[in-house]
Amino acid sequence: MEEKNLTPNESIRIISQMIEASKHRVAMPDMRISVMWAALSVITAGIVLTCCLITGNPLYNLIWFAIPLIGIPLNIRMVKNTTAKRGSKNYIDRISDGLWSVVGYIGIGLTVICLLFSFFGYNSIWLSMFFYAFIIVGFGAAMQGIVIREKSYVIGGLISILTGFIMIVCVLAGIRLLLIWTIPAYMICFIVMFLVPAIIIRKKLNKANR
Amino acid sequence: MKELNPLLHSQLRLAVMSILMNVEDADFVYLKEKTESTAGNLSVQIDKLSAAGYLTIEKGFLGKRTRTVCRITPLGRKAFEEYVDALKEYIGM
Repeated sequence: MEEKNLTPNESIRIISQMIEASKHRVAMPDMRISVMWAALSVITAGIVLTCCLITGNPLYNLIWFAIPLIGIPLNIRMVKNTTAKRGSKNYIDRISDGLWSVVGYIGIGLTVICLLFSFFGYNSIWLSMFFYAFIIVGFGAAMQGIVIREKSYVIGGLISILTGFIMIVCVLAGIRLLLIWTIPAYMICFIVMFLVPAIIIRKKLNKANR
Repeated sequence: MKELNPLLHSQLRLAVMSILMNVEDADFVYLKEKTESTAGNLSVQIDKLSAAGYLTIEKGFLGKRTRTVCRITPLGRKAFEEYVDALKEYIGM
């Protein structure tokens, strides 16, 4: 860009050009991170379910720890790449980053609480992670959908929240939460919350780019 | 008729301010790419805007690489709005 004396019309043209140039990704945050967490959650849940059903050994529930152990380092790496790639941050990015940071901090805090209770023998406390995954993560997905105006996120989030409350009601009513239906419900919720919206958004972007 | 702010009435500085009005922050590489300017020229113009208090410059690291992030200040936002108002008067909008 050369330095020269501007006429008012040229100034208006520059302002319009720059607004146009910087708005191309205004409406969409990077979805790869949420897809990574969703895929990791679904695969881990599938492995836990298979192992527990085949062997009947509850120790296979330890596989759930693969989610934070693999997900957190991957998340850090992906955030670095995303930040370097996008070069700018807009209002939607800030809201989305803040939203998922809060969801993440709640998850870490709840894990610490569960670990503390486990030391005193209350192993059933880990069930609360399930409610977290359904309700808090579901709420995050629904909010994300509202922020980026994507209905599939909102619908997926609502399905997950309601499933979470059904689980709570079952516990309160004394109905046993069996692996055979709770883990598939968990997998379905993560698919409709993150993977389905990601596919829909990708299709919309491809269509818009054509 | 209002006078056009001479600090903003420059092609590159106006381009930088227009981008920063549209995003929360932007790094140096992004601004260079969008304005199609040279690193040296952009650096000089950003320093001028920063010296006037129109934007803040934050230098940090992203991994091993340095990353310079620019953000518009309330003063810069006000100056830009006044500049646009003045422009409207000039072109009779």
